[in-house]
Amino acid sequence: MRFVGIDLSLGAVLITLAILTCALVLGHVHEVSRRRTAEEKGLTLLRQWLSPAQLAQYEKYGYFEVMGGESGKHYRIRPTRQMNVDELDQHGARTAAWCFGPDGELPIGDVMLAQKIALENNERAALALANRGSIPQSPPRFG
Amino acid sequence: MAKQIVMDITGDTRHEFDPLDAAAVAKALARFKELTGAGFTAAVRRGAGSSELVRHFDPAADETVFFPRLRGG
Repeated sequence: MRFVGIDLSLGAVLITLAILTCALVLGHVHEVSRRRTAEEKGLTLLRQWLSPAQLAQYEKYGYFEVMGGESGKHYRIRPTRQMNVDELDQHGARTAAWCFGPDGELPIGDVMLAQKIALENNERAALALANRGSIPQSPPRFG
Repeated sequence: MAKQIVMDITGDTRHEFDPLDAAAVAKALARFKELTGAGFTAAVRRGAGSSELVRHFDPAADETVFFPRLRGG
C-alpha cells in the first residue's frame, strides 16, 4: 500500500507537471500569435501612411526614406529597433545613425511610422531627444 | 466614419465615430484630450504619405493616429 501510495503521489506530481507544462506551452503559443498579429497590424498601418514612393521602396528593400521637414535632409528608416534611422548625404551615403522611438513595446511598423511622422513634421524636436551613433569609418589604407 | 488609431502593444486600437453625431464627437474629443494629455502625439493623415501634427481635436479629420511620447533609444 505504501508503495502504491508513493506511486499515486508521484502520479499526481507528474500530472500536475504535465498540466503546468501544457499551460506554459499554450501561453507561449498564444503570446507568439499575439505578437505576430500585432506586427501585422503595425505593418498594415505603416503601409497605409507611406507615400507611393516610400511604399514602393519599402516593398523592394524593406526600408524607406523620408525628408526632414525642417532641414530637408534625407533619412532612411530601417526595420530594426536600435539605431535604425540613418541620416544620408546627397549621395545616399550614411553620415549618422539616430536612435529614438515611441515609448513602450510597440510593433516595428508602429515604431517606423512614428519615426516617419516625427521626422517629417517635427524633425528638430525628434533629433533633440535622439541618441546619435557614430558611423564606422573605412580603415586607412597603407602602402 | 472618422477614425482615431491609437498605437499600442496589440498594434493599434481603433475608435470610429460619425463626425455628424454630436455625442460621438464629444467622446472623440474627450479621447483626444486624454491621450494628448498623457503624452501621446496626434497626427492627421492629409494625403498620400503626408501628415500633420495636431494639438487640437479636428472633428473633420478622417484619420488621426496617436503614438506614445518619443524618447531617445
